[in-house]
Amino acid sequence: METFVQLVINGLMLGGLFAIISVGLTLIFGIIRLVNFAHGELLMVGMYLTWLGTVKLGLHPYVLAPPLVLVLFVIGVLIQRFILQPLLDARDAHVQIFATVGLSTALINLALLVFGADLYATPASGVRESITLGPFRILIGQLVMFVCGIVVVAALHLFMERTYLGRAIRATAQHRAAAQLMGVDVKRIYIVTFGIGAACVGLAAALVAPIYPASPTVGTYFVLTAFVVVVLGGMGSLHGAFIGALLIGLVDSLSAFYIAPDLKEVVIFALFILILLFRPTGLFGLGRGSE
Amino acid sequence: MSDRALPTRRAQHRPSPGMLASLALLPLLFVVPLLIGDDFVFHVFITICLYGALATAWNIVGGFAGQLSLGHAIFYGIGAYTAGLLVPLGISPWLGMLGGAALSAMVGVAIGLPCFRLRGPFFALATIAFLQVIRLLALHFTGLTGGAVGLMVPLQTGWEWMIFFERWPSLLIAFGLLALTLGVTAWLRHARFGYYLVATCEREPAAAAAGVDTLRVRLQAVALSAALTSMVGTFHGMYLTFIEPEAMFSLAFSVQIAMFALIGGIGTVMGPLIGTLLVVPLTELARGWLGASALGLHGFVYGTVLVLIVLFVPDGLVGLFRRAPAAGGAEERGETAGSAAPASVPAAPREAGRRRIGEPILVAEHLHKHFGGLAVTQDVSLTLRQGEVLGIIGPNGAGKTTLFNQLSGFLAPASGTVRVRVEGEGFIRPATPHAFARAGVGRTFQIVQPFAAMTVLENIMIGAFHNHPGRAAAREKALETAHAMGLWAQQDMEARSLTIGGLKRLEIARVMAMEPRILLLDEVMAGLNQTDVQRAIRLVEAIRDSGVSVIAIEHVMQAIMALSDRVVVLNSGRVIAEGRPQEVVRDPVVIEAYLGEDFVHAHSA
Repeated sequence: METFVQLVINGLMLGGLFAIISVGLTLIFGIIRLVNFAHGELLMVGMYLTWLGTVKLGLHPYVLAPPLVLVLFVIGVLIQRFILQPLLDARDAHVQIFATVGLSTALINLALLVFGADLYATPASGVRESITLGPFRILIGQLVMFVCGIVVVAALHLFMERTYLGRAIRATAQHRAAAQLMGVDVKRIYIVTFGIGAACVGLAAALVAPIYPASPTVGTYFVLTAFVVVVLGGMGSLHGAFIGALLIGLVDSLSAFYIAPDLKEVVIFALFILILLFRPTGLFGLGRGSE
Repeated sequence: MSDRALPTRRAQHRPSPGMLASLALLPLLFVVPLLIGDDFVFHVFITICLYGALATAWNIVGGFAGQLSLGHAIFYGIGAYTAGLLVPLGISPWLGMLGGAALSAMVGVAIGLPCFRLRGPFFALATIAFLQVIRLLALHFTGLTGGAVGLMVPLQTGWEWMIFFERWPSLLIAFGLLALTLGVTAWLRHARFGYYLVATCEREPAAAAAGVDTLRVRLQAVALSAALTSMVGTFHGMYLTFIEPEAMFSLAFSVQIAMFALIGGIGTVMGPLIGTLLVVPLTELARGWLGASALGLHGFVYGTVLVLIVLFVPDGLVGLFRRAPAAGGAEERGETAGSAAPASVPAAPREAGRRRIGEPILVAEHLHKHFGGLAVTQDVSLTLRQGEVLGIIGPNGAGKTTLFNQLSGFLAPASGTVRVRVEGEGFIRPATPHAFARAGVGRTFQIVQPFAAMTVLENIMIGAFHNHPGRAAAREKALETAHAMGLWAQQDMEARSLTIGGLKRLEIARVMAMEPRILLLDEVMAGLNQTDVQRAIRLVEAIRDSGVSVIAIEHVMQAIMALSDRVVVLNSGRVIAEGRPQEVVRDPVVIEAYLGEDFVHAHSA
């Protein structure tokens, strides 16, 4: 029983990590209707930057979070403005996917060129210590991620509901043309949305880096799980992504222990395929997966 | 992506200059390394042939069928493993190649069957998920695959074992595989299968209405593509003499294959090879010069080139060479053939005197259909007789199009039956759109559904293929239909550039080329001007006189009155009146349905 509870705790904490990565993905997915295959590579870039900041400048990774959020926001804005926006009215929706796939490949291999295939571990800076609650243990870094996950989702939710810009973003997501007719600058909305989605990744990178080492393909590893989370939660749904992340965290933790460590991803991807086939709208989504 | 367009009329009898040039240059891939004789050159050319073949095979699914697969390494890996596991048992990799191809085709169908209803990014994500599952399973079952350690292929040399001391036999095999995939693609593009694939990709409902079994066509495409990919995988496994799950079932590799095709131009025969030719030598040479310090360079170049191509040459490199619009030729022909071609159906053995209305040919009984709580079809029964024109009218939202969808297999009724009489078989109950098409039921769509990137003639050929599997015969039939429908002058135009009247005629032309016995027309007159309405009425009359039985949904009362032998009136999903047109329009129930209760009272008062 104790083992099970510890596994559940581990799963929820892992879910916090998935949540913070998935929030930006679901935002871009739901509002721009774009499957950003380069999302994981943004995380990868952020993790290398965190490593540079801690090792070269001697800063605590968490201190790097605000500048990283800013840097990733700018990167996101540039990607949307100069790569994706020209493709908005492309005859075939596939071309946007091609662009993000190309970007993803270019970034992975750029990292390989610059840093090589080695792992770059950001100094733990105290966040890999664990606190104990009776017989149970939680990593400080994971707890921070979990709390930050909740805060980010709540903050984005408030932003969407309460601010003018948030309402404009939601209107654009529901009906691009109608929003445009109401005077919403759709292109600007998309740029801001992609920026916010990328900024979330900036925060995630600062939190993840002290726990997982950076490598060129680290983004691929995380983003595939993030796709599962986003589709499970329902594309575009912020709280869906959070709950989906916790569920996938639990599945990950429990199947690694009760089935086999190297088969946990098989369970997750099999689950993903089943969701895609039988409930493509996910748990909380309104979109239609088959279209 | 407009490059999915099939060849225009002029390009048909003789291959295009680009194609001829490519064919002439193709053997160079084999000859050049032989002349130079350098090991590195051999390696580069073998790599080009390999990737070219893989990208060309991928293109069948990714380009022609329009399904973005990022999991093609599954088939590549299956090919390598099947042969690699059979060699230690003393079985030649040539047999392994065939076995792997068969296995891959089956796996492709098994994955495609549930996944083909997913669109765009969702299909891509599903293929990635399948690839990951297979890769992880391959890593897990070490007994079979060697796990992460990998599998050495026993070094037996000679043709029987596909492993050689010299380089040239490997090059010959790689070149042969490339030629095979190119040959298959070239065949496909000019065969009915290829037309059907492109049509399915562009507008699935319209393809289904033209008698295409869309799921089957897609599955055939994936089986073909998987088998070819697997064959290349077998050879590559033998060439590397080492097989491991991480390399064989790699996502990065799958993406790379797709990239070569995208860079060159998808949905074209030579595009994938051209893309490969551009980027592989570039990166292989750079790797040769820079050595290990160039780790990642090739991927960086591929990714960057892809982004640039997408931004600046969205149709791929091949798109650079085909900017010439087809309109010029069409106009010329218009002058000589006369744009006012007669709108008549020639093969009309018109009976003298009155038409005879015969036995029932399509019978719908007690159809019910509801969407959620909304009952859109309630106990609708109707009978169409041989040689008859049955008009269906009713206010907006009455359920006319929903009824049509049930009469043509696009929607299954919740209860009730639709039966069609087929000569020699009696009444049958088709269930799918293509089964209805096979039973001789053709339909048009209220919102026109042209295959926009195809020419007008190719659009009509999609219908003509239904009874004429050969391309030449289908073309003949399509030309004849184009003439009859007044589309002769526009035959080489892209369908998207037609006027609305032209699109409506094209909609009818495509279905008439199927030579249906029963024609369902969904508001073909809506939005037409007076001249075009007159023209359309004459057209439907001519179709009727040629022996086709017609059900027409129409709001243009002038047409309904002129054409219909009988009229069925629908309101709120029910049949509220039925009879001769003149009687029906005077029926108070009908007037009330159209104009409201107040109107009826006002007139009776």
